[in-house]
Amino acid sequence: MILAETNQLAFADLAVIAAYLLGTIGLGLYIGRKMKTGTDFFLAGRQLPWWAIGMSLVATDIGGTDIIGVGGAAYKHGLAVANFEWIGCVPAMIVASFIFIPFLYRTGVFTIPEYLERRYNATVRSIVASCWLIFMACNLGIMLLASSKMMSPLLNIEVAYCIWATAGLVGFYTCVGGLAAVVYTDVIQCAVMIAGCLMVLVLGLSRVGGWDGLQERLAAAEAQQVEQQSPDSGIDGQSADANTTELSHPIEHTQLILPADTKTPFPWPAIYFGLALILSPAYWIGNQAIVQRSLGARSEFEAKASYVWGALLKNVIPLIIAIPGLIALAMFPGMKDGDQAFPRLVNELLPIGLRGLFVAAFLAALMSSIDSYLNSASTIVSNDLYKRFMNPAATDEKLLSIGRFTTGGLVAWAVMFAFLLTRMNEDSGIYAIFQTLMAFFQGPVLAVLLTGMLWRRATGAAAIVALICGIATSMSLYALNQESVYTYLGIAPLFQISEPFLYFSVWAFLVSLSLVIVCSLFTLPEKEEKSDLVVSWRSKS
Amino acid sequence: MTFLHRIGEFVREQMLAVPLPVVRGLFLATLLGLLIWVWSLPKSVTTPPGGAKRWDENLKFGATLALVIQIVIYSVF
Repeated sequence: MILAETNQLAFADLAVIAAYLLGTIGLGLYIGRKMKTGTDFFLAGRQLPWWAIGMSLVATDIGGTDIIGVGGAAYKHGLAVANFEWIGCVPAMIVASFIFIPFLYRTGVFTIPEYLERRYNATVRSIVASCWLIFMACNLGIMLLASSKMMSPLLNIEVAYCIWATAGLVGFYTCVGGLAAVVYTDVIQCAVMIAGCLMVLVLGLSRVGGWDGLQERLAAAEAQQVEQQSPDSGIDGQSADANTTELSHPIEHTQLILPADTKTPFPWPAIYFGLALILSPAYWIGNQAIVQRSLGARSEFEAKASYVWGALLKNVIPLIIAIPGLIALAMFPGMKDGDQAFPRLVNELLPIGLRGLFVAAFLAALMSSIDSYLNSASTIVSNDLYKRFMNPAATDEKLLSIGRFTTGGLVAWAVMFAFLLTRMNEDSGIYAIFQTLMAFFQGPVLAVLLTGMLWRRATGAAAIVALICGIATSMSLYALNQESVYTYLGIAPLFQISEPFLYFSVWAFLVSLSLVIVCSLFTLPEKEEKSDLVVSWRSKS
Repeated sequence: MTFLHRIGEFVREQMLAVPLPVVRGLFLATLLGLLIWVWSLPKSVTTPPGGAKRWDENLKFGATLALVIQIVIYSVF
């Protein structure tokens, strides 16, 4: 188990963890007392301050699996994984803060699908709401299971009990306090997460002799790796040609920009075109779990400020979660499983007593992602399904009860799904499929959302065609890249890197964008009240 | 080799032909372009209603700091 080596927790460690958990529950209960309406529950009564939203954005984006996974990827592939937090977040957040977030705030919507109905039609809303709901509901079960598997060896508690405990704890404060509880607990979680990981970074850098010492040790580790892979060594029976190819690009652990034919999952075209230009804007402009908290801001200005503050914080994140992966490489070269990098570092560097803070940071990262997806999934069910199709006359008070009931239902579903996953073979591909699921629809949804916001001529009929064909494109590309499929068809795989989900999103986005433009020009324009729902470019000065 | 493979191979060859310093330039140009855009935004878009009472209430400064850090990072690494 990933964190098994950090399980020597002393009383002081357990006290820190207990204080953190009790503080979280207490805060959730305190906020829940003020909850009166659906607007309070789903948008925190539009009373959230910018600093809390900004920290919540960062906490939601970084899950516990990310701390382990990013550290592990940095150990295996180098600093290029930090692109996901830097060019893959900051530019999109800055653009969103000045154009898209204030626009969505002014429309007064609760959800992105709600905007899509106002701009296009109910079918587009239903397709997008369904995609997000399926993704969030499945992802809740996956996150719950992944969290429990990491917590189990750490706290010496069985996985099943961890699933119940996490679901009960997160479900409780999300159900009681809604978005406000999620955001304010995220603030604590963000601070604890940064403090815990910063501690590992500082102690790690001092152990390897600062930045210069780290670079020297990394160069030695790379040289050792290259030597092991040299044709003369003949490792693993690989052919000389394969080794020569590998050697032409020795692993550059401190490089952010890697060549197009790198063997890592981070070639520059995927990072620039797939991540920076498509997946990142899709995430920061079109992800309900992210956008929802800025819609709950006290004012349009605070909604903008929250994204700018979040972008500033994002600059720090790779330093505290990716650099430790490099420190681990410098200190323990040759580990086969990169995901052991962060836990081994914690075990090696942190004295008993401080480990509790890191474990609390880890729990904070796990909980901050689960609570956000829980609250957003509940918002979509209540607003885009219940209120839209079952009870359009539902009062704000009624929506509060529906929101809480739905949150409870989603917790029950997530627990059930997590247990179902425990019965499946981990190699069945179910984990990889759901991790890739978001890439299936984010490109097409971004194409439809952007054209809807920026182009008056975009029509609902074109949006439906673009969404369906875009999702079909990414799913087909995924299928054609599966070994069983391409072997059966007798063709080579379409993509030459592992985990090519960034490329799926590029192609799906391009297909959807082309279709929405072409089909719009061949269909009748929308009524004025719909086509007026676009971003105004007129200067306000 | 299918039609899709031929498209993929063509795109791949084009991408491989771009030297890495040019790619770095592309990343930096994107960030610089964004920085210039932020500075060209009217004050009404970047300050609270009624104008900024303190310099840090103008979001241009926060956005600039975030982008400058990015430019430094992508220049060095």
